[in-house]
Amino acid sequence: MTDISTIEPRAEQARPGLQSFLAREPVLLILLALAAVCFFLAVSGIAGIYNAQQQALGARWYERGITDLKARNFTAAVNEFRAALRYSEDDYSYQFNLAEALVGLNRNGEAYAYLINLWDRQPEDGQVNLELARIAAAQGQSVQALRYYHNAIYAIWSGNQEIERHDARLELIEYLLRNNARPQAQSELIALAAGIGDDPTQQTMLGNLFLRAADYDHAFAAFARSLQSNSTNAQAVAGAGFAALKLGHFDAAQNYLRQAVAADPADTQSAVRLKTTQAVLQMDPFRPDLSDAQRSQIVLEAFDTAGRRLSSCPVSGAGTAVAAQAALEERWTKLHPDITANRLRSDPDLVERAMDVVFNIERETSTTCGEPSGADQALLLIAQLRATN
Amino acid sequence: MLPDRQSDLLIDEIEPARPSFFSRSGFKRSRGAVLESVFREDRLFLILSVFIGIFSGLSVVCFRFAINWARIYLLGSGAVLSPVRLVLAPTLTGLVIAVLVIHVFPLARGSGVNQTKAALYIYNGYIPLRTAVGKFITSALAIGSGQSLGPEDPSLQIGASLASAIGRTMNLSRDRMRLIAPVGAAAGLAAAFNAPISAVLFVIEEVIGRWTAGILGSVVLSAVSSVVVMRWFLGSESLFRIPPVQLQQPSELVAYGILGVLGGLASVAFASGIGTLRAKCRQLPGWTQYFQPAIAGLLIGCIARLGAPQIMGAGYEYMDRAMHGQFTWQMLALLAGLKIIATLLSFSSGTPGGMFAPTLFIGAMLGASIGGAEHIFLPHLTISPGTYALVGMGVLFAGFLRAPMTSVFMVLEVSGNYSIILPVLIANTFAYLISRTLQPIAIFDVLTRQDGLDLPSMEEQREEGILRVEDAMRPAPDVVDAEETFDRARQRFAAIPPPEELVVRLDPTGWCTLTRDAVETMINEGKGAMTLNSVLATQPIPFLHPDHPLETALRFTDRVPLVPVVNRANFRKLEGIISQRDVLVRYREFGEG
Repeated sequence: MTDISTIEPRAEQARPGLQSFLAREPVLLILLALAAVCFFLAVSGIAGIYNAQQQALGARWYERGITDLKARNFTAAVNEFRAALRYSEDDYSYQFNLAEALVGLNRNGEAYAYLINLWDRQPEDGQVNLELARIAAAQGQSVQALRYYHNAIYAIWSGNQEIERHDARLELIEYLLRNNARPQAQSELIALAAGIGDDPTQQTMLGNLFLRAADYDHAFAAFARSLQSNSTNAQAVAGAGFAALKLGHFDAAQNYLRQAVAADPADTQSAVRLKTTQAVLQMDPFRPDLSDAQRSQIVLEAFDTAGRRLSSCPVSGAGTAVAAQAALEERWTKLHPDITANRLRSDPDLVERAMDVVFNIERETSTTCGEPSGADQALLLIAQLRATN
Repeated sequence: MLPDRQSDLLIDEIEPARPSFFSRSGFKRSRGAVLESVFREDRLFLILSVFIGIFSGLSVVCFRFAINWARIYLLGSGAVLSPVRLVLAPTLTGLVIAVLVIHVFPLARGSGVNQTKAALYIYNGYIPLRTAVGKFITSALAIGSGQSLGPEDPSLQIGASLASAIGRTMNLSRDRMRLIAPVGAAAGLAAAFNAPISAVLFVIEEVIGRWTAGILGSVVLSAVSSVVVMRWFLGSESLFRIPPVQLQQPSELVAYGILGVLGGLASVAFASGIGTLRAKCRQLPGWTQYFQPAIAGLLIGCIARLGAPQIMGAGYEYMDRAMHGQFTWQMLALLAGLKIIATLLSFSSGTPGGMFAPTLFIGAMLGASIGGAEHIFLPHLTISPGTYALVGMGVLFAGFLRAPMTSVFMVLEVSGNYSIILPVLIANTFAYLISRTLQPIAIFDVLTRQDGLDLPSMEEQREEGILRVEDAMRPAPDVVDAEETFDRARQRFAAIPPPEELVVRLDPTGWCTLTRDAVETMINEGKGAMTLNSVLATQPIPFLHPDHPLETALRFTDRVPLVPVVNRANFRKLEGIISQRDVLVRYREFGEG
């Protein structure tokens, strides 16, 4: 049962008189305020000691983590950075290095959680963007990867900004080339080229990247620029030779490749390319300096080479490839009786028709049976050159 | 609306009007009167609330330092703990804690929430300062040594204890002293959890149990000032890094529903486990209490040694990692289960420490586990388990601590993201309903009863029906208008049995009552033809509305025998009448019913 007297306490209770209030409350409040100030100062002192200890412990574990990270001892590094973060959970460096160690352990999900947190705090941080780009690239998230790579390229870096940005762009180019995104890679390479001076090493590297991006014009230009500063650079000579070969500048290619092989006899790739170039030069029936006899001889050999290639590249089953190859075989067989030295000498049109069959065979078989080699490769290169001209 | 007049009446009845400070008369008052006005107890209480917040905030900061120092010196400073320390630290510290709790700080046992409630309801706000000291030392040792307990409930009790000490120093009245402990509790909890809104809600919901403007202001002031102080020293960052949280698609709500159901079941298992094991531990011979915390520590150390050190201490670091998808869903589920066991052991052994952090830990692990499993089996539904971990915390809070409102606002406050309101509401509702159904008595009430106390159950209070005036009033009798004559009034009396009074409707508004004797007297004096209005001094009596709480009627019925009950839309329309007897009869029926 409710006691009614308790419902109106204020009316019932005797309040302390004014004198007692004046005597006590203000004084007590002032004392309370003083006590609060003292307590605050005391806690500030304790907090100072506490924070100093926390920082010291954090720094100690961080240093151990850095040592282990450098030694690629990622598991220990992760534990040490985690310990460091215990004492300074918002420390940017601790979190970043922990993320790097986690990336080293291929624990990209965890690393991402830390990095995205850092990114929220400093979206302009180049290192964080680069790490995020790497994680996105590793996870196959190409849109995110490109976004973070571009962020990294235009971000703020703690060290030498130009070098860091250059390296970030290089990494992006590598990523694009790995993913066969050649047009994008070419764009990035052109941007990269704008920032590279005359340093022959850099120009050679640039030329090689252009080669991988199948931008042979820029590749040749880069190698040529490199050779202007250092004409004996074997890599640049070999690259220039290859670029010239791809551009159909066979004479120049032969020249550069000869220099490359002479400079570095162990460069078998250039030796093979030189052979191919020489083969092209020898097997091109459309060179203006050839006599009719020489041209007819080259056509005869090319026709036979194409025939052998066709017979060595059987295609079974059904489909357009089979039909196309069958048609080529029929054309070759039909034309074969006419391909004699005399007929070729007397009928320039026959040279054209014969070489047309040869080029078609080389193109077709290169798609069905893979890249050719030797004479077939030379014929294919001539075919490609003719097609572009 | 009436109540202008009616509420004026109410206020006038309870507290005589005071001259305004800014009125002409107010200016003429003496300086003493002004000071008295400033130092009126309710205003003083508000000032004290700020001080309580400051002291509590500073204490909680020290408490956090103490826990971390205990952790460093007992378990080591590294992230990977030494196997020997893992087992020995909680065991040996358990022995020390037992001695301290039994011989030095007997009131430091348990979480602290019920002790604060007991201070409010039993001890007139009295909590010895020694309890705060004991709670501080023993909880810091317990949590720092790896016992599966959290710092929030002890912070709550430390705040309440400090507030009680301040209140005693200021010689506050009994009513204020009763309320001062919850004010300190809110301050302590707010600082510990860095979430003032949740702290205020929890204290209102689970300690005080009712909303009143006076106490709300003090609780908010103390909570805010304690959080400001805490952030001054420890920064404003949340206890964990909140991942981007969002609801991917409406179909995901099904998964949150499942989380709610599983969370509710986990809450029931956790609560009934604590209820059972704690009771059994208390039934053991007295001397075993020296070893109970140590045995709990030993078992927890063994669990940690066997590969789950995450269950030691409050575990905020691991909640953070769970939110960021750094555990497999199987590991998360295992951690949730092991944490339940570890907390059962720690809490039931009487080791001082709180249940908030373990509850959040279990919820986070359970939620992240469900989110992780969904990510694997239904990858199109969700991106990250972070949201599930966050919702899971609220789920366990609703299911285990049975504070549904706090559970919702806590998640919103911690995440700072209102887009997860739907998942939180759905999951928490499921968890709360399941827990309420399978475990009718809330955990705090279970613990209270085990302690031999009979504190009011906040859950029961919330669900208790309220008696209103309309439940006790009698139907409206005939009404006499003030324009009628005394002769007419006498005729009206003939129609009603003695000793009833007539209810007179005054013009334009207002009511009064007229006794049979008064009418007879007037007629005997030859004033029978006069109107009631012209003779009776129009002294309106208070009136009520049908929806007023019945207890409001009690304020008037001892002085006004018959109180009119009037329509809210038409003050001249009488809905009924009520007397003190009607009220008491209704209360008796309610008590018997």
